[in-house]
Amino acid sequence: MKQHSKALQWAIYGGLTLWLVIASLPIVWTAIISFRQYVDAFSSPLKWTAPFTFENYRTLWIDKAFYLNFLNTALVTLGTVTISLTVGCLAGYALSRYRGALGFWLLLVALVFRAIPHSSLLPSFFTMFDALGIRNTYFALIFVLVAINQPFTIWMLRSFFINIPSELDEAALVDGCTRFQAFRKVIIPVMWPGVVTTGLFSFLLAYNDFLLSSALTNAEKMTMPAAIANAISAESEALLMQGVAGAVSITIPLIILIVFFQKQIVGGLTQGAVKG
Amino acid sequence: MKTKTFFQFIGPSLALMLVLMAAPLVLTGYLSVRNCSLQMELVKAQESTPFGTNEILSHQAKLGSDGKALENCGFVGLDYYRKVLGITDSSAPKASATQPKNEFYAALQFTLIYVFVTLPFVLGIGFLLALGVNNVTQKLKGMFISASLLPFIITPVVAALSIKWLFRDNGLVPYLLSQVGIQVFWMAEAWSARLLIIIYGIWHVVPFAFIVLYAGLQSVPQDSLEAATIDGASRWQKMRFVTLPHLMPLIVFLSLIHLMDAYRVFEPVMVLTQGAFTASVQYLTYFILLQENNPFKASAAAVLTLIGILILLIPLLVKTYREQRGGM
Repeated sequence: MKQHSKALQWAIYGGLTLWLVIASLPIVWTAIISFRQYVDAFSSPLKWTAPFTFENYRTLWIDKAFYLNFLNTALVTLGTVTISLTVGCLAGYALSRYRGALGFWLLLVALVFRAIPHSSLLPSFFTMFDALGIRNTYFALIFVLVAINQPFTIWMLRSFFINIPSELDEAALVDGCTRFQAFRKVIIPVMWPGVVTTGLFSFLLAYNDFLLSSALTNAEKMTMPAAIANAISAESEALLMQGVAGAVSITIPLIILIVFFQKQIVGGLTQGAVKG
Repeated sequence: MKTKTFFQFIGPSLALMLVLMAAPLVLTGYLSVRNCSLQMELVKAQESTPFGTNEILSHQAKLGSDGKALENCGFVGLDYYRKVLGITDSSAPKASATQPKNEFYAALQFTLIYVFVTLPFVLGIGFLLALGVNNVTQKLKGMFISASLLPFIITPVVAALSIKWLFRDNGLVPYLLSQVGIQVFWMAEAWSARLLIIIYGIWHVVPFAFIVLYAGLQSVPQDSLEAATIDGASRWQKMRFVTLPHLMPLIVFLSLIHLMDAYRVFEPVMVLTQGAFTASVQYLTYFILLQENNPFKASAAAVLTLIGILILLIPLLVKTYREQRGGM
């Protein structure tokens, strides 16, 4: 890169720093006030420093049993990611190897499904799940999340599978493998990077979901984001501060995720864009 | 791959999408033209009082043999569509003045404002960041990309809450603004609540645009840039005639993804206004279903929402159709 003028260089660093501040400010400030009591968190005039307290977290996690919501989230995200990837890998592989027009139409329909606002499906989910008696079950929530995730998952996995030369599985077929054996023994071992990346995005979808979890499950089965929603309209100061602590608790695993999987996340974001 | 094998592999995925997406869509259409109401009956009850036994009549929901309330269900045509769209029968008594005339139109209007106001900012800021990061040292790049991912992958409801607390009375931003003499009660007025939702929308998606455009910048053909330099092109001309055309497919891609995702805006609307000043189409369905407790009216709103996204999607579908057809 050529040398820019000093002024431009300053403008670049200034602009990038400004964005970093804006990007992190909401969650950083929330983290700061989560260790304060209400009177210090929202005081007038504002306090830059205040006595440190762990009270909000203690109340939330122990008294309000937020660990149950944490376990719900763990169960729902684990279930969603596992099933999504299993079902999605099979479909993505098929779509990358099949040459007929049907595959194309399926992808096009999947694209439309990807755009469906989730609340549009809720009245039907209520009706269906009530009729089957499975409303307010982890089972129903997990399968709904998997299904809603499928269009995105199969598009992404297909774009990974397409990059694997089909000579590889054809050689296995010639050697006497069935399609499924070729898929399991030859393709999947070289597919791990794609599976991990897609899995991360499935995880994010399930972990970050608020709408479906809050609508389809009752309090005792709610995931963390749905459970802190009562902080939205909280009149009580204690409840509000528990919401603040909850918001920070939900974000910590995501920060860990960024630290460990930055490459895969960035790769996933650009995958669809660069490959089309 | 043979068609039979294809179906074996794609079967589970297809079944899931059929049962939990396609079928619900059809069911939504069906529900939207129906209505159910509880069957009521007059029940004779004996009431013992100190003055003797009275026989009273009371309205109660009729129970079936299984102990569940019986319902009258039937076809009501487009009644709920009229309600959601605020088309009132001239013969029917006028709705009270406080009732919003046209809930869906208002929600759709804000949703579209949100989609099309956030889009240029997302692309513009994302592009500037991509250009900026392209010009810093390798070591800072990784750090910067990591740090700027957070707004995009953070839980939307948590992000919206954090912004709400930041802008709340006695929060950080109103305090800083009051230091320079600006006093705004962000959550108390329609314009500022809407502005906050739009700020959230930009903040949330900029990292995605930034990362995609940054990746695109890595593949700008260097020889074209050098050729342009030799021909005496200014920095601006190189940007305008080499870099931007190269990024165009990515900009189209980002716009279409943004269109789909922004049309679904929900969490910030719920958190920042609680529907008091503004609703989005997705929020409207959610609200009718869970607050008004009316799955039939919610279905009508849902069908209208779906029609809206289908219309917006037409350019994307045409584009994909052309590309994939060309590729096969």
